[in-house]
Amino acid sequence: MKRIAIDPITRLEGHGKITIFLNDEGAVDNAYLQIPELRGFEKFVEGLPVEEIPRVVTRICGV
Amino acid sequence: MKLNIGIYWGAACGGCDVAILDTHEKLLEIADMADIHLWPIAMDFKYSDVRAMKDGYLDAVLFSGGVRNSENEEIAKLLRAKTKTMIALGACAQMGGVPGLANMYTREDILKRVYLESESTANTEGIVPLEGAKNGAHELELPRFYNTVKTLSQVVDVDYTIPGCPPASMQIYSALGLIWDNMLPKKGSIIGAGDRALCDECSRKKSEKTITKIFRTHEKLPDAETCFLEQGFICLGPATRSGCGSRCIKSGTPCRGCYGPLDDVADQGIKMLSALASVIEAKDEKDIDAVLDTVVDPLRTFHRFSLASSILRRKKA
Repeated sequence: MKRIAIDPITRLEGHGKITIFLNDEGAVDNAYLQIPELRGFEKFVEGLPVEEIPRVVTRICGV
Repeated sequence: MKLNIGIYWGAACGGCDVAILDTHEKLLEIADMADIHLWPIAMDFKYSDVRAMKDGYLDAVLFSGGVRNSENEEIAKLLRAKTKTMIALGACAQMGGVPGLANMYTREDILKRVYLESESTANTEGIVPLEGAKNGAHELELPRFYNTVKTLSQVVDVDYTIPGCPPASMQIYSALGLIWDNMLPKKGSIIGAGDRALCDECSRKKSEKTITKIFRTHEKLPDAETCFLEQGFICLGPATRSGCGSRCIKSGTPCRGCYGPLDDVADQGIKMLSALASVIEAKDEKDIDAVLDTVVDPLRTFHRFSLASSILRRKKA
């Protein structure tokens, strides 16, 4: 079985990698898109004063 | 001879990369100055290309984002080996930035909230990211999500820092000019920023400050000409390095400190607390406490961008 890694995937905002497994005939057995990143905004904005939210969540994606 | 540079992001939002792109036509000058050998947001180079470089091949790396997981750390160390000059670009690389606020929680708190409790997530099997997983004969890996967000200089030796969230585009352009002209200051310097406090460049009117209450922005309309702090709105101008061009202040909103502390300040948030304490109108300790009690959410106000680099650093384990 052959493994092809596309790491990182590029020209987008964020991190990602693609791993493709080929079987003995060279056909795709399976392909996986993985997102190797997390920052946890869902947690650390909890309880933040509402007027401050716009200045924090704009840092989720700056693109 | 052209410079060889790499541009990379750890735990970032891409805003620093966009700030580079926002140099507009100057980008053509940057392209004349430097060949870019890694820039995930804009160009298709792989980690394997970086691994194939000789050590010290790159003249400079601009590294934005903090170090949130083992991949960020691994690539930071790889790039450190491949570059002569490592530059922390932006508040996250310098101080952890907004994602550093995750240090208020543990790794488990965050994984639980994001993958198990989030109202918009359907995850009936309760799966959280695994460092290694097998699907039949296919073995897959993900980086380890750390308990603590780290700054770039907490994992590798950093030569220079360009502050800001995001750094002002023309400041990045000038900093690149320093490399090109071989005019870099002494190692460890902040480049692409001022050396005074933001307050010193602020055009708002200042007189004697005597604060008796801290206001939230919905509680009263700020006067457009007067110092925010004087009006009782927390503004991190006294504890923040200049160089941003007063973007927030000019937009009618107080500073939150993204340009970080001045030289020789160990902790920006605590510096701000000290500045605030000095302008409170109080006869005794009780009065001071009464005013400070009106500060909502002090940690995320005073350490909005700098928690990971502060002496507090994180929630006690």
